[in-house]
Amino acid sequence: MAEGRVRTLALFAGSIVVAFALWQFLSTVVFNPFLIPPPLAVFQTLLPMARSGEIFRHVAISMARVGVGFTTGCAAAIVLGVLLGRIKLVNELLDPIIELLRYLSPTAMIPIAVIWFGIGEMSKYFLIFWGTFFIVLINTTAGVMRAPIIRQRAAECLGASPLQIFLRVVIPSAAPYIVTGMRIAMASSFMSIIPAEILAADSGIGFLLQQSSILLQTNRIFVALLTISVLGFVFDRLFRMAVDRMLSRYMSYITLT
Amino acid sequence: MLAVRNVRKVFGADAQRYVALDGINLEIAQGELICLLGPSGCGKSTLLNILAGFEEVSGGEVQFEGAPVRGAGKDRVMFFQDAGAALLPWLSVEENVRFALRVRKVPKGEWPGIIDRSLAMVGLAEHRHKFPAQLSGGMRQRLQIARALAVEPKVLLMDEPFGALDALTRRRMHGFLLDIWQRTAKTIVFVTHDIAEAVTLADRICVMSVGPGSRIVEVIRVDLPRPRDLADAGAGKIFRQVEALLA
Repeated sequence: MAEGRVRTLALFAGSIVVAFALWQFLSTVVFNPFLIPPPLAVFQTLLPMARSGEIFRHVAISMARVGVGFTTGCAAAIVLGVLLGRIKLVNELLDPIIELLRYLSPTAMIPIAVIWFGIGEMSKYFLIFWGTFFIVLINTTAGVMRAPIIRQRAAECLGASPLQIFLRVVIPSAAPYIVTGMRIAMASSFMSIIPAEILAADSGIGFLLQQSSILLQTNRIFVALLTISVLGFVFDRLFRMAVDRMLSRYMSYITLT
Repeated sequence: MLAVRNVRKVFGADAQRYVALDGINLEIAQGELICLLGPSGCGKSTLLNILAGFEEVSGGEVQFEGAPVRGAGKDRVMFFQDAGAALLPWLSVEENVRFALRVRKVPKGEWPGIIDRSLAMVGLAEHRHKFPAQLSGGMRQRLQIARALAVEPKVLLMDEPFGALDALTRRRMHGFLLDIWQRTAKTIVFVTHDIAEAVTLADRICVMSVGPGSRIVEVIRVDLPRPRDLADAGAGKIFRQVEALLA
């Protein structure tokens, strides 16, 4: 077990080292350092941005937008998803609308969001909400619908009331689907916040990208890109750790059975 | 105790209309072990679901202790072949039993005693903190039995409960079920497509015909002492008799 972990870590570190080497090679030999700034130059650009707090301000603003949009999107989607999965009439009424709206990516909604909400925080909350909502909604509905009928019947003849079946059987059965949906939605939020900020913001990492592009500051563009990757990676790991810690008994059986 | 009168079950309508059961009559006495036997698709599980109250009859009537069956009742506990799906996989062995006691509104003070007793009865006492995924197929079925017994139903409805187990485990489960049945005097309705299983277990075997419109073609009383040996002349005779009916 410990050996396996050491091996995984070693390979992970190795992969990063190779990536940096390749980056350096592409930058200095194949292309040129202006188009692809070498790693060292990127870190030299990053340092003053970190020292002045500039990069952290952008990160904080982007994360706050993701946080608000993602949280409200998940909450609304789980509530509606449960209703859709449980009440046939609601499903039949809303499913066609959802099936149409879900193809409108957050990026497609940027122009109208700017008109509706301006370039302030609200338009970003809305766009992240939009992206999160449909992913979590569809997963929640599927999870609730797929709660095994046998499990519900078994609980019913043991004496469980409809409310008990719902709370103690259906919702826990759907938990793995809901959490998986949330994880995908989080990744999607990290992706959609960038175009939203590029097109309609005066702060955030997307704005940093856009501004640096206009000024042809490839160093700063790379700082922003690196920041996005690291953030997405770190938040996904944090999410998984939180799920492992709090919901492992609802998740584990999926891999075991 | 359970009376099935002229029961008819039709699924769907128009072109998809399918008459699953037609004219089923059966009286089951308190403490009896009845096997419903028939090939796949003969409607025996449908009949069991009707007895449980999960399915409504299209015609006729099912009575339990003199009152018509409407919906699932706590006195008739269904027992499924797919124990992995029927159990709550996020709860440990003892929590699964506790779940049954909670929804049955058994006073909390009685829980520890009932949990100990029912787990001991099925030999799962030392596995009480494991989760269903960590149990073997036979152990999961025993947990399902423990969970059912904990709420003291009058009738156990079993839908091919040992169908997915290997032959050896199945044999052991038969001995085990008979032992529990003799000790608790529950009424058991046991669905199977395995003639040997029916001959090993049943007081009476109800042989069902293939659908559409299945019915009980014959009820065979098995007056043999238990444990039964299928190599015995008496058991062999019943085995062949049933086999001839199904051929």
